[in-house]
Amino acid sequence: MSLLKPFSKLPGLNTANILLVENEEQFQQKLADTVVLHEKNVNVNVRLARSLPLPMENEESRPRIDLVVFIIHLTSELSFQSAETSLKYLDPGYFLGKVCFLVTNARNASVPPERLVSVRKLAASLHCPLLCAEDQTTEGVTTAAHRLLAILKVAAGLVPMATGLYLSTFTRCTVPSDIDQQNFE
Amino acid sequence: MEPLDRLENLASSLETVALNGFQAPTVDNGQKDNSPAEILRIKEQMSNQCFEMAVKLQAGKSKISSCSASDAEKDLPDYANTLEEAKIIHFNKTLALHRMQVWHAISEKLKQSDPEAVAMRGMTSCSLDLCSRIKTLQQESCALQDQITDLQKQRLDLKRLTHEKMKEMDELKRKREHPEAEKYRNVLQKGQSHLEKYQKMATITQNVLRGIIIASKVNWRDDPKLRDIAMTLEDIPISD
Repeated sequence: MSLLKPFSKLPGLNTANILLVENEEQFQQKLADTVVLHEKNVNVNVRLARSLPLPMENEESRPRIDLVVFIIHLTSELSFQSAETSLKYLDPGYFLGKVCFLVTNARNASVPPERLVSVRKLAASLHCPLLCAEDQTTEGVTTAAHRLLAILKVAAGLVPMATGLYLSTFTRCTVPSDIDQQNFE
Repeated sequence: MEPLDRLENLASSLETVALNGFQAPTVDNGQKDNSPAEILRIKEQMSNQCFEMAVKLQAGKSKISSCSASDAEKDLPDYANTLEEAKIIHFNKTLALHRMQVWHAISEKLKQSDPEAVAMRGMTSCSLDLCSRIKTLQQESCALQDQITDLQKQRLDLKRLTHEKMKEMDELKRKREHPEAEKYRNVLQKGQSHLEKYQKMATITQNVLRGIIIASKVNWRDDPKLRDIAMTLEDIPISD
C-alpha cells in the first residue's frame, strides 16, 4: 500500500505544492493554469492526477504535497466513487487540514440532490472543507483558484499565524441534522 | 506642502506594510532579493513549518488510545475557542509592543541632531500646526452648525404659528357665514311658503275660470279679449 504521507519529505523554500485529483481530467488543467497565473509571491507547483495511488516511478522526484484537492463532478456518479476509492491511499495525517473537496455543477437541476448530500456527509466525516466551483466561466475558475490558493498557503505553512489544522477547525464542512427534510424556513 | 506629501507617502507605505503583514511583494518569482524583509519572511515561514512538524511529532509520541472520536468532537469547539482567544491576545500584545518600539525609535531620533532628525522635527511641527488649524476650523464649523439648527428651530416655530393662524381664520370664516346664512335661510323659507300659497290660489282661480268658460259653452275663440284670457290660463303649470 503506497500511502501518500504529508511529512515524509522536507518542504521547499517559499514553495507550495498542490495535487489536483480528478477522474475526468477536464477541469484540472484550467484550474492549474489559473492558480499558477494568480500567485506572484510564492512558487506554486501544481501536480495533476487521475486517481490515487500515485505511480511509484516518480516517488523520489516528487516533492512534498501540501494540499490534496479532490475534484468531484456531481453530474457523474463515477467521479464520486473514484474520489472515495482514492481516499484510502492517503495517510491519515493529511486529513488534519491538508485535504479539500471541490464540487462542480452543484446548481445543475439534472443532478440528483442525494449526491451532493453524500459528498457533504463524506466531507463532514473527514473534517475537510467543501468548496463549490463553477467550471464553465473564467470568473468561476478564477474564484475557485483564489480560494484554493488561500487554503494552500495556510496548508503549506506560509501564513505566519495559521496552520492547516487551525484553519480546518473553521472551514470544515458541516451537515445540518435535518438535511433530509429540506425545509426552507 | 512638500513635507505634507512626504508624510502622506510614508503613511501609505506604512499602511501597505501593516495590511500585507508578512506578504511583502517580490518583484519576480525567480529573482530573490536578499533584503532583510524577504529573509525575515522566509524565516517566519520556516518556523511555521517546523512548528507544524513538531506538533505532528508530539501527537505521534503521546497517543491517547482510550480517547474516542465522539469525546474529542465534543471538546473540539472549546479548544478552538481557547486557541482563538490566546492567538488574539498574543497578536494584540505584539501590536502594542511594535507600537512602543516605533515610538521609542522616533523619540530617540528626534533627540539627535542629524539632518534626518531635523527633517522629522520640521514635519512634526508642520503636522502640529495643521492639527491646531483643524481644531479651530472644526470649532468654527460647530458654531455655524449650531446657528443653523437655531435658525431651523425658529423657522419651524414660525411655520407652526402660521398654521394655527390659518386654522383660526378658517374657523372664523365659517362662523361668520353661519349666522348670516341663518337669517337668509329663514327669510328665503318664509318667501317660498308665501309664494306657494299664492301660486295655489292662482291655479285654483284659473281652474275655476276655465270651468266656467267651458260650462257656459261660450265660443271664446272669436272674442279677442276672451281669447287672450283663455291663452294665459295655460301658461302657469298646474301644481298639486
